[in-house]
Amino acid sequence: MMMPPSTARRLCFLSLLLLLLLLAAAASATADAAAAEEFTEELLLRPLPDRKALAHFHFRSSAPPASAAGRHHHLFPKAISQLVQKFHISELELSFTQGRWNYEQWGGYDPMSTNNAKPPGVELWAIFDLPLAEIDATWKNLTHTLSGLFCASINFLESSTAFSAPRWGFKLNEGNLRYGALPREAVCTENLTPWLKLLPCRDKAGIASLLYRPSVYKGYYHSQKLKLKSSQSLGIILDQTLTVVLQPNTVSGKQLHSTGGQLQPSWSMEHLFSKKLSGKCLVSKSSRVFVEIEKGIVDNVDKAGSDVSSNNDLFVLSTAPDRSLKELDNLEVQSSSLYEYDVNNYNSDKPLNVGITWKLPLIWSCTRAPYHASRFLMGSGNERGSIAMSFLSTGLDKQLVDSSNDCSIKAVVFQVVPWYVKVYYHSLEVFIDGNSKAISEVVDKIHVTPSEDKLLPGTMEMLLKFPCSMQLATLTLDFDKGFLHIDEYPPDANQGFDIPSALVSFPEFNSSRSYPEADPLFVSPLLENFKEDGVVKSYTEVLLVPLTTPDFSMPYNVITFTCTVLALYFGSLLNALRRRIGEEERGLKKAALVRELQFALLQSQSQMLRWSTIYFFCWI
Amino acid sequence: ARKMAEIAGDETPPLPSSSGAEESSLLSSPPSPTAISGDEPPPRTRKPGTKRLVLTASVLLSFLVGLPLLLKSTEIHRSPLPSDAIADLSRRLQSHPPSFPCGLHAVFLRSGPGSPVASLADQLERAISTQHHLLPASSTAGNISVSVTIQSGGGCTSSTAAASPWRCGLLTAADSVRDDEVFDELLHSALGGRDGDGMKVYTIVIAEDDDGKGTRVVIGKHRHAWVVGKVDEAEALSLIGNVFIKYFMNGGIEEGETGIGKGEFMPVGSDGNVVLSFSLLNADPNDWVYDWEFKNIGERILTPVVEALRPVADINIESQVLYHTPKSSYSYSDDKLGGNVLSMGDIPFFVNSNEWHLDTSISATGRSKVLQFVVYIPSARECPLYLQLPDGELSKTNAFISPMWGGVVIWNPPGCSVGSKKAHGTRRQMSSQELMETLEIFIGQLRQLFGLKPNYHAQGMDVATKFLVSEKGFAQWELDLLYRHHACSNLLSCVATLESLSSLVQSLPRMIVMDEIGRQVELSLEAASLAQRNATLGIGDSSAVSATRARALAEDAFFHPSIMSISYASVEHYFAIYME
Repeated sequence: MMMPPSTARRLCFLSLLLLLLLLAAAASATADAAAAEEFTEELLLRPLPDRKALAHFHFRSSAPPASAAGRHHHLFPKAISQLVQKFHISELELSFTQGRWNYEQWGGYDPMSTNNAKPPGVELWAIFDLPLAEIDATWKNLTHTLSGLFCASINFLESSTAFSAPRWGFKLNEGNLRYGALPREAVCTENLTPWLKLLPCRDKAGIASLLYRPSVYKGYYHSQKLKLKSSQSLGIILDQTLTVVLQPNTVSGKQLHSTGGQLQPSWSMEHLFSKKLSGKCLVSKSSRVFVEIEKGIVDNVDKAGSDVSSNNDLFVLSTAPDRSLKELDNLEVQSSSLYEYDVNNYNSDKPLNVGITWKLPLIWSCTRAPYHASRFLMGSGNERGSIAMSFLSTGLDKQLVDSSNDCSIKAVVFQVVPWYVKVYYHSLEVFIDGNSKAISEVVDKIHVTPSEDKLLPGTMEMLLKFPCSMQLATLTLDFDKGFLHIDEYPPDANQGFDIPSALVSFPEFNSSRSYPEADPLFVSPLLENFKEDGVVKSYTEVLLVPLTTPDFSMPYNVITFTCTVLALYFGSLLNALRRRIGEEERGLKKAALVRELQFALLQSQSQMLRWSTIYFFCWI
Repeated sequence: ARKMAEIAGDETPPLPSSSGAEESSLLSSPPSPTAISGDEPPPRTRKPGTKRLVLTASVLLSFLVGLPLLLKSTEIHRSPLPSDAIADLSRRLQSHPPSFPCGLHAVFLRSGPGSPVASLADQLERAISTQHHLLPASSTAGNISVSVTIQSGGGCTSSTAAASPWRCGLLTAADSVRDDEVFDELLHSALGGRDGDGMKVYTIVIAEDDDGKGTRVVIGKHRHAWVVGKVDEAEALSLIGNVFIKYFMNGGIEEGETGIGKGEFMPVGSDGNVVLSFSLLNADPNDWVYDWEFKNIGERILTPVVEALRPVADINIESQVLYHTPKSSYSYSDDKLGGNVLSMGDIPFFVNSNEWHLDTSISATGRSKVLQFVVYIPSARECPLYLQLPDGELSKTNAFISPMWGGVVIWNPPGCSVGSKKAHGTRRQMSSQELMETLEIFIGQLRQLFGLKPNYHAQGMDVATKFLVSEKGFAQWELDLLYRHHACSNLLSCVATLESLSSLVQSLPRMIVMDEIGRQVELSLEAASLAQRNATLGIGDSSAVSATRARALAEDAFFHPSIMSISYASVEHYFAIYME
């Protein structure tokens, strides 16, 4: 009776041991497999409803966790690895953007707009793996390093007036996140070149060779981003993305419908980049091009009764894809179709030139975020004003949520305001469909860090709850305009001061995608990013606040004013002390010659005084 | 402005017209009897009135009262710099440049029986001592104490000088026929087996051995050399002097050659840090892509070198692989040599700074130095690529250095020949043997960058000379030489920096000098005197360490960020500012 359980236990133990051994072996095998640095390159093309085309470049370099990180590298950029080591970064995102993402036309409810639509200028945030007391100092050093690395004025984020530490409005963290934005930073090739230098092939080969500068910078939107994640278990993963919205250059191209077909231009890679793709970067593990056909078109194709293949009733892709994928959104509804091309199969003799040709004129629209958020200034004059933020329903909620009475939609607002715009947070007012509402009805949670003069920017994180039936909500905040020291004005101060974009996120809406038909062995970092949990976000406009500018010639006026007063004082004093006018008068009577001389002297003196007066008036 | 206008308006007209009123008031105040006499007033006889004096004095007084206030308000903080101590150190260095005393120990191994005569040792010692006037003036060596030991079958006799570390009888002349490496270690153990602190003693062993192969000299990895063969006394003495002065003291650098102690800079950052950045450049990955296992092999080979150079510099090693990095000079195809040839004149254009993004390292912060070592893999079109020396010969190492920048090795992948086919992007690994060979070339280049010879030819010696190669890349006697020169040059540069800082501070009376600068200067002086003291004791490595520290502190003080503040202005500018 006793034996069976004992043997069973032994057997169990043995099998456990075996399992452990197997697991260990498997772990070591995966460790061996993962021990190499990898690089993948991908490009996603998508026609946009407003006759434009979106190109999204995605490059991923990964380095396994190793003791030699930062010192010995094969593919991974040494500079980034050393940066991560030196500043103990666990996450970092740096984006350079020119132009504004059009949430209405280009989408507001998909992974592209959620992850890759960025505010104009530079945005930098980082999460540090450091004690809280050391983070600010590390951030300052980091901004200087990045500034040198990317040839940009990121070092302006060094000052404590330029960065903030949001707790939950931007991204949930334990106080180790720092966020800073420079809305006025101009972005150009000098920022792209160092970014390309981090790729093993730079723009010499592979997908990055499509980056023909004149066409990239001619676009409507251009956002270059660097995102890195580092951990003890995963090593460092560096994602470099470049998102551009271009107008296909098809003026000389053949139009299928020369009269009625002007609705959508047919384009190919060559029209977008003036180049074809002639092979991959040789050290890349995988190199792929995707063409994404949005839900709006897919629905139309379905309506037309045809199968969504690369050649259907509505459009035809110029090259047959190697694979096609169906994309499902988070509600398991098909959202769009993806066509994949493996660049491995193409070379300089047989370049890849994917394009789309429309067979029928087509109008479609993209999926939008539940609310269209925008921000504007109210008031006039140089003394005070107010910031208003409006949320206009896009009607999405009608489709998604049943409009019962107690239904509500959450929105999180995060905004950073420089100290010279002194926001009175108590003056927050909320209007829903034009009616003023009590704050407590709408604001669920609010966290404000008030600004301190020349020390801290004002940060506001706010969780709002809107009723589902709402059409328009408006929030207003009053502010006073501060005065800056004469040295603190930037060149061209009369242009005004930029307030960085506010971020509005909708935590109940998720833009993640899934690909049920995809082969489990098919690994694409681009699609992995799309699969990640993505709360729908949108950035508002940058505000331009005109501040009182001083007369910059004022110091000189003061100098001349003071000097004139001093000159008058000393002149008259010396005159009074030195000259004896009574005696001179008598002397004049005595000698005519002397009188003449004296006259000349007086003349010249009055002349001098007159000149000084004129000089003074000139300055005034 | 209106007020001003009033003042101006009031002031301008009265001058000519009010003279009458002025006159009356002036005349009425001091009661002057002469004024009444009418048309012809006599000149003034009395002194001016007290009123005017009081007025003048009050104006003057207000100025005098205001002056200290003004000076007080414009006072700036200046930490006192020990300029006397700096001048003193500089004088000391000029009058007595640091010199390291060292010892020369000659050992004669005689095969014959019988105890050697004691007086012979003393006689030999005197003979060797007289040769040292040969020492060139530029050498950093100071006093040389000579001692001689004679060992024969019957025992050892040492000259009167200090107790020699020689362990009598451990080694005989017969041992010298063994392998040189083995004999080197035997000799090392016979000499006490340690590299020792304190004064360095160089040993030259004369092993009398009549095997008929002729005389040869071997210079070991430690601080000794030996001569094997049948040499008479006079010849032995001249060999001892030659080896000691030429190699142990001067590193084999001839007069007129560039090298250590000949005005060459050490490629070490002023904070004592050096980053060795190794890059593998694939000129055209479309042809072939090579990778290397640098992490294991490179670290293994380079770690002893890094350890050996630690007193001179703190060395960090990095490596990376880059792609699409063509060279920027032209090579031409030479059928006779069977490859593409790059002539010496094209080398200055070889490094393609546009495409080779070698990058400085984040770990090389501040004033530290990056030395780039580059392996260039030619593309299929230009493969094999050879460097041609000016005399038409091909370079043996296929490598060149650029002083203070680093070195380049052109590595032709195996099996590449003119017209070899493209391998179409196959990824290959550089074999460990090839990597080790490349690294050996790099170590030679590093030696050269530090001012030593990459390898020795027995030039100027009339007997065959062999040099044993240390796995550290540097033999112990070479390291001694490096330490000595490094200590000297760092001390001199430290003093030069301190002197210029001191004179800068003195020449700009309005310059703010932070307390931190003063402290750094004091610490630097302390380290410098420590280095000097160690030098007089003959401890080269600690002297080098202190000298590096002294220089780093001096540079820190000189380049302190606060020195760049605006109060650099001249006195005129300063008055102009405060007149506002």
